[in-house]
Amino acid sequence: MSFTYFLRRAAFAALALAALMTSAFFLVRLTGDPVNLYLPVDASDAAREAMRVRLGLDRSLPWQFLDWAGDMLSLDFGTSLWHNRPAMDVVLEALPNTLALGAIALTLAFIAAVIIGSIAAVNAGGWIDRAINVLSQAAASVPDFWLGLMGVLLFAVTLRILPTSGFGGPIYWILPVACLFARPFGTLVQIVRGSMIEALNATFVRTARAKGARGGRVTFVHALRNALLPAVTVTGDLAAQFAGGGGVVEVVFGFPGIGKLLIDGILKRDFAIVQASIFAVAVVIFFINILVDMLYASIDPRVRVE
Amino acid sequence: MKKMKGIGALSMGLAFLLAPASAIRADAASDKLTVVVTDEPKSLDPCDTDLSGNSRILHNNITEALVNLSPADGSVVPSLATSWRQVDELTWEFKLRDDVTFHDGKAFDANAVVAALKRAQDPALACEVGLATLKGVKFNAEAVSPTTLLIKTDIVEPILPNQMSAVDIGSPATPNDGKSRSPAGTGPYKLAAWTPGQSVDLVAYDGYWGDKPAIKNATIIWRAESAVRAAMVATGEAQIAYEIAPQDGTTEQDHAFPNAETSLLRIDAEIPPLNDQRVREALNLAIDRDGLVGTIFHQDAQKAMQAVPPSVFGFNPDIPVWMYDPEKAKSLLAAAKADGVPVDKEIVIYGRIGIYPNSSESLEAIQAMLADAGFNARLEMLETSPWLKKLLKPWDKERQPSILQTQIDNTEGDAVFTLPNRFTTDGNQSTIADAKLDAMIANASKATGDEREKLFEDAFSYIAVDAINIVPLFHMVTIARVAENVTYTPDVQAGNEIKLKSISYR
Repeated sequence: MSFTYFLRRAAFAALALAALMTSAFFLVRLTGDPVNLYLPVDASDAAREAMRVRLGLDRSLPWQFLDWAGDMLSLDFGTSLWHNRPAMDVVLEALPNTLALGAIALTLAFIAAVIIGSIAAVNAGGWIDRAINVLSQAAASVPDFWLGLMGVLLFAVTLRILPTSGFGGPIYWILPVACLFARPFGTLVQIVRGSMIEALNATFVRTARAKGARGGRVTFVHALRNALLPAVTVTGDLAAQFAGGGGVVEVVFGFPGIGKLLIDGILKRDFAIVQASIFAVAVVIFFINILVDMLYASIDPRVRVE
Repeated sequence: MKKMKGIGALSMGLAFLLAPASAIRADAASDKLTVVVTDEPKSLDPCDTDLSGNSRILHNNITEALVNLSPADGSVVPSLATSWRQVDELTWEFKLRDDVTFHDGKAFDANAVVAALKRAQDPALACEVGLATLKGVKFNAEAVSPTTLLIKTDIVEPILPNQMSAVDIGSPATPNDGKSRSPAGTGPYKLAAWTPGQSVDLVAYDGYWGDKPAIKNATIIWRAESAVRAAMVATGEAQIAYEIAPQDGTTEQDHAFPNAETSLLRIDAEIPPLNDQRVREALNLAIDRDGLVGTIFHQDAQKAMQAVPPSVFGFNPDIPVWMYDPEKAKSLLAAAKADGVPVDKEIVIYGRIGIYPNSSESLEAIQAMLADAGFNARLEMLETSPWLKKLLKPWDKERQPSILQTQIDNTEGDAVFTLPNRFTTDGNQSTIADAKLDAMIANASKATGDEREKLFEDAFSYIAVDAINIVPLFHMVTIARVAENVTYTPDVQAGNEIKLKSISYR
């Protein structure tokens, strides 16, 4: 991948980011006034107006936008109303937790899906395939929220082998990872299975078999390499979704990640937190996309990233 | 279910791998306690203790006020002040303790109170206490000596000591140009750490002037899910969990306590057909309160007739609770219709998601009850921000007739903290403009003693029986789950205060 390619991508990403942040600015302001949320309901109208003036919310939207855009250019995301600290500091504390959580869940899901999906494809039509099909469909459709609470009930309350929630050593990661694992695992099994069946029936595999190549080698070297591309593409999309945090899972487990932060930010009309989170997530997604392109090129030499 | 097996097997496998290394179930040491609440605190500033999220951590743990209110009867009891008296109509004198130091080493004296009171009323800081409890009155404090303090007001303030119970006194070193995240008070605990997003740790303060607490280290954490909070006590990860939903709180460890909150529906009495008294009465007669309690609402919730619970000064015990009489409601509606009142017009019920456990379910049931009585009611559940727009003035002139789900808390113990804003012409949440009621509330607010109590009782009776602009529902309870080996009895103030120094292991 050449440097000019990276620059071109970065330029497009900057344009997209500007559009995204502009719409974020207007959309969060359409959702209502934070002043009522921050002052006690018994506060007088004068106190409310004073706070609007202090926050600059009394000015017309275009003026607010110009001010905000100027700050954005100098990467100033403002102070969080709720946390009473610079919004980007709060975001940068939460982001690594989410990225680690997402990366673990997705890596496990990818590896498990490749193995299980391949097994299904090799046994296509048989009872193993049908069982895997049911399992993966269920995994792809079960709600995170329900899975989380069931996990707490079973592993924390009944079996007492895992903590209910919280943040700390490896043991605290198991339930959130398991919840976030389910959906990508289910989706990827379906994709790997489909593309493996296709690859196994392709001419080059039949040729390899005719030449006497053994079953395992054909499946896991010749066919798999070709079948992986769609799975990598989907994993890239899933990774982009994960960058925004498994909001519900993070809320259930009290996991201090960006998803929980963003949900709280929206509910509390903490504009600075919402905007800083969106910005950080968008930048991460940009890098994930670059990474997926590079992976793509390394799996399939016919793809050239230029 | 097959999916569950898959995930189950995987988690089980991982869990067994890690099980030997885990000590998560070890019971806490006898001087350590973990409490789980719903929400992370906001600023931890002593002047923001009107917010229950802040108050639960700060009040009487880290910071203290001049006086406290007795949870039994709302009477004012000493804390940092040992005695107080009204010198003249506009002046109160407080005698302060002389053996108190702040956690940062500064001495507690009258000057510290002067600074704290000034700070709480600083408009630039927009302190909760200044905006809510002290609102509308200028409090000027003056240090006569280190242990004698005068507080003067610009208008007569007969319940000034009650108000002082809400003003937590932070160290004079508390910054004046912003809210503090590292409070220093005089309380039995000092702040050890606040890990954003995770926990607040408190540690006992060796120099505390009062009895030393049994618990030396307390950790406060927050989880949004009621089921998770409840589970944490079951597994020993926490010893006390607040705000357990009725369906999760069915064990012997779950204690329901009155929380000074009253749930009700506010009727917008200005818009037809709700401007007709018979229609408002029919709304009240259409609600089967007995059917709601013990099902959607906790069985210990008390049927309400006014906006404050019995623990509040001015509560009127003699107002009869509305009967459930859908037939009478129908005939009242028919009579109104005969007089040309547009009773068929759609009425919106505005609800707030999560205002109390099962808030949506309660309104779904109420909507069905109203429909049975012949109302054309539509339910709209709102998130907090849009709900506040419906709660607070100004409202659209062209709005639809509506009733609004709300809950009013009064932990300050006097009716004046509930009535003016909600039931007078100028009140920012009031849907009633009645000169007679305005005068009743104004007179009661100025009075003292038995006369004050009587005048407030009359005001509550007038609102419930004559004006009828509310559908009172219940004096509410909160469920706290308490570990079996912990001694703790939540009282009416537990919604705003975790009395850590009263907690110990058995």
